[in-house]
Amino acid sequence: MRSFGAVSAIALNTFRETVRDRVLYAIVFFALVATLAGLVLGTLSVEQDVRILEDLGLFTITAFGGIIAIFIGTNLVFKEIDRRTIFLIFTKPIKRWEFVTGKFLGLALCILVVCFAMGLFLIAIVCWQTLQTADPSVSWTTTLTNTLIPSLIPRLLTSLVLMYVELVLVIALATFFSTFSTPLMSMLFTFGLWICGHMTDSLKALGELSTSPVVKVVTNGLYNALPDLALLTRIRGEALDGGNFPIDLVSGIGAYVLLYTVLLLSFATVIAERREFQ
Amino acid sequence: MTETVIHVQGLVKDHLSNFLRKRFRALDGLNLTVRKGETYGLLGPNGAGKTTTQKLLLGLLKPTGGTVQVLGYQPGDTRALARIGFLPENPYFYAYLTAYEFLDFFGRLFNLCAAKRKERIAELLKLVSLTEARDRPVRKFSKGMMQRLGVAQALLNDPDLIFLDEPNTGLDPIGRRDIRNIMLALKEQGKTIFFNSHMLPDVRDICDRVGVLHRGKLVGEGEVEAICTSGNYQDLEDYFMDLINTAEEEYRKTGGITPYHIEREGVR
Ligand SMILES: Nc1ncnc2c1ncn2[C@@H]1O[C@H](COP(=O)(O)OP(=O)(O)O)[C@@H](O)[C@H]1O
Ligand SMILES: [Mg+2]
Repeated sequence: MRSFGAVSAIALNTFRETVRDRVLYAIVFFALVATLAGLVLGTLSVEQDVRILEDLGLFTITAFGGIIAIFIGTNLVFKEIDRRTIFLIFTKPIKRWEFVTGKFLGLALCILVVCFAMGLFLIAIVCWQTLQTADPSVSWTTTLTNTLIPSLIPRLLTSLVLMYVELVLVIALATFFSTFSTPLMSMLFTFGLWICGHMTDSLKALGELSTSPVVKVVTNGLYNALPDLALLTRIRGEALDGGNFPIDLVSGIGAYVLLYTVLLLSFATVIAERREFQ
Repeated sequence: MTETVIHVQGLVKDHLSNFLRKRFRALDGLNLTVRKGETYGLLGPNGAGKTTTQKLLLGLLKPTGGTVQVLGYQPGDTRALARIGFLPENPYFYAYLTAYEFLDFFGRLFNLCAAKRKERIAELLKLVSLTEARDRPVRKFSKGMMQRLGVAQALLNDPDLIFLDEPNTGLDPIGRRDIRNIMLALKEQGKTIFFNSHMLPDVRDICDRVGVLHRGKLVGEGEVEAICTSGNYQDLEDYFMDLINTAEEEYRKTGGITPYHIEREGVR
């Protein structure tokens, strides 16, 4: 109960900090511009394909959600240390794990809100586009009740949830690196691992091709240790197509990401317990 | 015998500089005892090791050697921290928060319930004369207002033991007087205060006992009243300068055991 109070206080403060940060709005602005550009591309494409719009929209939200996670996440703990506000925090009766968890949750909440807003925007655009391209003899209410509500909107929402699972991992990585490394290094590490998570197949192939034992060990290690984000993306694509939803695979990946997050935050806690604050 | 609140024995702290991994001994065999209800002033020139001492007592730094007990616990123990207030040197606050939000945040970290926080924050804003600035963002605060907000933050939990690192440095005369009055009021209430400073007139007014730190060593310690009435010294400043000069001479003679970074690096 006491821990809950401390964690939620840190999370709320982190949430406030991020939503009052101009960096967030700059990134969201670019995301909107990118989505609008996607909209234009979508309308110009020969088949007026709604699917292109969906894919592009989801990609944009993932990319920008990830960018926010990396930019803000890698600064999270570092800024507290750099600006010496950490002296005020760690001289209060709170545990280091409460601090680390609160920081993580605050940013995760902020990104949830941002992604939800961008997701709503995407859903609105896709619905509008569908109505535009629908058979003119069918009334828009029929399209709404027959296509949009039962099929299109749930499919998009499912994909958005799967996308957030991926972002949770990015947020945890950024928070972890932020406890002991400079923002620039943390950004490189986080971004690198995020991309590697998407290229697990290539990593495996690279390891098999390479003759160097070092490369083999590294690629194999990364292949085995990183969550398979490429698989998650494939599942997301299938969910978007309305294909059957492999609940066991998804919950497997979800559990893995959760375990990962807990491990990363535990390491971050150990580091915060060990290190000195100058 | 009154209760011992701070007990430090043979405390040693080496700072490792990032370059060349060179060791620098910031504290060298410090012994210190502060009793309940006492106002203790740790004096010393810039770089003497005052801030290092407070950070060690609070668990922000880990000792290289020696033992430290604060309120009967290891430094940094949350049970002790629940009864401690701390104002760091040149505090920086979250610029994006208002004064009220700032205090509310720390009130939560002290695990005060909502009603208690509300009441306590109103009381403290009044005490440090910031009631008017309650909803103003901290980034618009002057240095003196920051310092007073820092004091309010340190008193949220109605602490038994208060650490203040140079609370009266860099303030104008009014700001200094305000801080001094607040400290006197706290002393009245029977709080134990551990206070770093080199503002000697303020120390004279507030402290029961002082210790003089020089190059990481305690070179003198005594009751303020006794020092000022013994006839050996004109005032506290005379006492301070005398101890520092003697220590410095001694240091020159022995060639110095610890490397001298103080003049170059100044305050950190
Ligand atoms: N992180 C650090 N790395 C190396 N040296 C340090 C560090 N922090 C403080 N010092 C050195 O330790 C000495 C004591 O510093 P400090 O405790 O801040 O002094 P004071 O508070 O009395 O001015 C100074 O010479 C300072 O340069
Ligand atoms: Mg200092």
